[in-house]
Amino acid sequence: MRPFAFLVFDGERLTDDTKAPGRRLRVDARCVAGEPVRGAFAHVCALPAKEAVVPYDMPEVQQVRRDALAWWIPLLGDSLVCLTTIAIDAVNYGGAITVARDPSLFESDPFARVFPGTIVETDLFSEVPPPPGPELERYSGAPWPGGSF
Amino acid sequence: MEAGFLSLNRGERFPDLDLPDHTGRERRLSELAGGDPVALFTSRGWWCPKEQRHMRELAAVQDEFEVAYARIVVVSVDPPEVQAAFRAGLGARFIFLSDAERRWLPRLGLRESTDTVHAPYRPAAFTLRPDLEIHAAYNGYWYWGRPTMEELRRDMREISRGVREDWELPQA
Repeated sequence: MRPFAFLVFDGERLTDDTKAPGRRLRVDARCVAGEPVRGAFAHVCALPAKEAVVPYDMPEVQQVRRDALAWWIPLLGDSLVCLTTIAIDAVNYGGAITVARDPSLFESDPFARVFPGTIVETDLFSEVPPPPGPELERYSGAPWPGGSF
Repeated sequence: MEAGFLSLNRGERFPDLDLPDHTGRERRLSELAGGDPVALFTSRGWWCPKEQRHMRELAAVQDEFEVAYARIVVVSVDPPEVQAAFRAGLGARFIFLSDAERRWLPRLGLRESTDTVHAPYRPAAFTLRPDLEIHAAYNGYWYWGRPTMEELRRDMREISRGVREDWELPQA
């Protein structure tokens, strides 16, 4: 399986129609590969503007992934469906998407420290076991936590 | 290390444990490895001062594991909610597996026979290749039997050298 899939975000909606208007984002392919969880909520911490990128190696981006492993995933508990960072290319981070059955904790989302979050109701995502940690380095071009040898 | 019913020696395959993690989510060891080397620890539990000391060592070295494509997994008989609190207190970002029901403890033969109160795991450590083949085994009943952080680095280097095809950077 390719380590990433494409979704399109226009600032309000997410779609897997890669020809739709909006910004094309690389997400962990496993998040859209299984049986979709109906009526879930995605917290899209990304902007539709293509200039909204920072390198994955920035300390802020490393730290939000540490926070995800340390407390964000445990805080969400059974509500979590999946999470993925958004890769723009092999180097750049475009944000993250956390998908949960209940959006009430999204105001605590650590990924919103880098790019602000938008809540989107969605049927696109499937359940993926969250990353076990402590690893947060990515495999080339793959959005964290996707990809492996 | 001779360990009861299952043989847990170098070159043998560590069982693919299926246990809940510190959030209560069911996990398999092979899934947690995810193609990377693993440092696996069995632990008495949060209450043991030796375990607290050793886990702080692991929390200090996790910064290296997180950038080096390697994993840390801890197994104890503490229930998930206790593990979650212990993990948060340590500032750990690695995973704990709960064998509170002692599903794997007797099969692994790692019960600490001298503790008849808690019936915990005997402290042990295993460094594993991504396919769960045991690279090295450590008996941590005595604290000095546990791997030092230098020994973990050495084991991770040896495993990585063996499994990473591009360990020797290709010639340009």
